[in-house]
Amino acid sequence: MAGTVIGEGLSIEGDVTSDEEVVVQGNLRGKLTSTDAVSIGPSSVVQADITGQSVSIAGQVVGDITAPERVDIQAGGRLVGDVKAARFTIADGASFKGAVDMEV
Amino acid sequence: MSQSSVIGAGTIVRGNVEGEGSLEIFGRVEGDVSMGGEVMLGEGGAVRGNVSGEKISVHGAVLGDLLATHAVLLERGAKVVGDLSAPRIGIANGALVRGTVRTEGEPALAAPNKRAATAAVFKPSAFAAKPVAKAEPKLVPPAEPVEEDEGEDEDEDEDEDYDYDQQREAAVMPPARPKEKEPERRPPPPVLPSLGKGAKAKKKKHRD
Repeated sequence: MAGTVIGEGLSIEGDVTSDEEVVVQGNLRGKLTSTDAVSIGPSSVVQADITGQSVSIAGQVVGDITAPERVDIQAGGRLVGDVKAARFTIADGASFKGAVDMEV
Repeated sequence: MSQSSVIGAGTIVRGNVEGEGSLEIFGRVEGDVSMGGEVMLGEGGAVRGNVSGEKISVHGAVLGDLLATHAVLLERGAKVVGDLSAPRIGIANGALVRGTVRTEGEPALAAPNKRAATAAVFKPSAFAAKPVAKAEPKLVPPAEPVEEDEGEDEDEDEDEDYDYDQQREAAVMPPARPKEKEPERRPPPPVLPSLGKGAKAKKKKHRD
């Protein structure tokens, strides 16, 4: 089980800093930083810059994503913002608007 | 369907947290927490801000007020600097609190003899006087304190021993005495608004 779960129905306005896995199912406005994996669930609405080892997006995100490892936008996921990651995938059915920097 | 949320031990939230469901906090929250359901602050968890919820149980540290619609429970190892307010409040052995504790929503506690209750709770000397006062009737003739009671009944600012006696008496036989004394304690007669000279005259005339 993930270290931190921001469940459905929970809203956080502010900065979240963590050194463990973070799963967001609820609402977040501010900034999300983790040294471990970050997962944005299907029902979530996030307005935040996200930094994580790897970031997976299945919900709605507005903000820039930074991940040393990888960023994945799942089907149904929606991202408006820039992505900086070594690997980046956009699943069929996902929507994305922004710039990509894969450090080539 | 609000899922339960967890703020893990390695997580710091700087900002306000609010929601419908329940929340477990093992990390740090620097901001207010407001939940519709249960809030559990685990061991090692810390909140710097006010916490509200249906039920709040604390094993960790809180610097802020706790306000619950159902209950606040401070478990062993809890440290709270702030006020507690809930219909039911439990403080376990080993929990530390600095602040005001108020059990609200209990009409049985709130309404009757407020004065005796406050004196008993907030005057530690009242407790200290207890054994002495109990021993007193054996040594001193019993008539004296009783007379004192009757004579200076309406005086509220007496020394603690006297205060205690009065309270005890009230506690032992509450219904009989106050009823007898009720006429003496009646509020002062209502102050009638003074009428102008002309008005008074008019009134008299009217009666005639």
